Amino acid sequence: MASAQLSNYLRANRKRLDLTQDELAFLLGVEGAPKVCRYETFAREPSLRTLLAFEAVFQKTPSELFAGLYREIQMEVIARAKILSRRINAGKRQLHRARTSQALVRISTVQPKTGSNRP
Amino acid sequence: MSKKTPKFSRSLAIAPSTRGFGYAILEGDTTLVDWGVKTVKADKNARTIAKVRQLVTKYEPTVIVIQDYAAKPCRRSDRIRALGAAIIALASECGLPIVLLSHQQIRKVFFGDGDGTKHEIAKILAARLPEELASRLPPKRKLWMSQDYRMDIFDAVGLAVALRMQRPKRMP
Repeated sequence: MASAQLSNYLRANRKRLDLTQDELAFLLGVEGAPKVCRYETFAREPSLRTLLAFEAVFQKTPSELFAGLYREIQMEVIARAKILSRRINAGKRQLHRARTSQALVRISTVQPKTGSNRP
Repeated sequence: MSKKTPKFSRSLAIAPSTRGFGYAILEGDTTLVDWGVKTVKADKNARTIAKVRQLVTKYEPTVIVIQDYAAKPCRRSDRIRALGAAIIALASECGLPIVLLSHQQIRKVFFGDGDGTKHEIAKILAARLPEELASRLPPKRKLWMSQDYRMDIFDAVGLAVALRMQRPKRMP
């Protein structure tokens, strides 16, 4: 039996640094521990500023920290890339869109990250 | 390219004690996703089950692992044995497989045919997962000391790691 990746791995990364939720909230510049708790329990998604602060604190990319969410978004983008690719190929100006077509093929054939969240 | 979501095996190990329980969630072979001790007071078994249910809901484990309290020479209290049965019932209710590991099976994983103490297992785990566990390793217990509460974490991680390294008794 197997399960999907978790939405995020913030709690594990915070515990590895021996930080309390209050201390992490201070580093992130957010209101307090309850907000960090909501991020860790997948009840809330952070803003762009907070996301970049997470990267600065944990020295990991957002796609590593939010592996499950990243994977979900990546699958949505791949599906949209395929639709857009079909639309462009069906259009009259397809010869002038070679670079776009190549980019869409690259996006829709990318192998999703499946690595572990180890540092 | 496959459209399927990548699959991970995630185990939830529960190590009950007099104060509450230690827990560990191990993803894959070496990634500890969460670990810690939860304390419960009054109506301990019901509250422990409620907290275990929260962990199951949050982490969606693929398997639950606990110690086999029926195996000899296990000398756990009646309350802990009843709690073990309640965790088995919870796993069954959630449709999760549960694995029971005996005291000997856990020691065999870490020491082979030799023998070792609980503290030695904790030291092995702290060396294997230094970022997660080294700072939580309690000092060696003296005869006059009661067990450090942090040892519950190592008991739980030990169960999760032992599960990865061998094929134990599996309940339907």
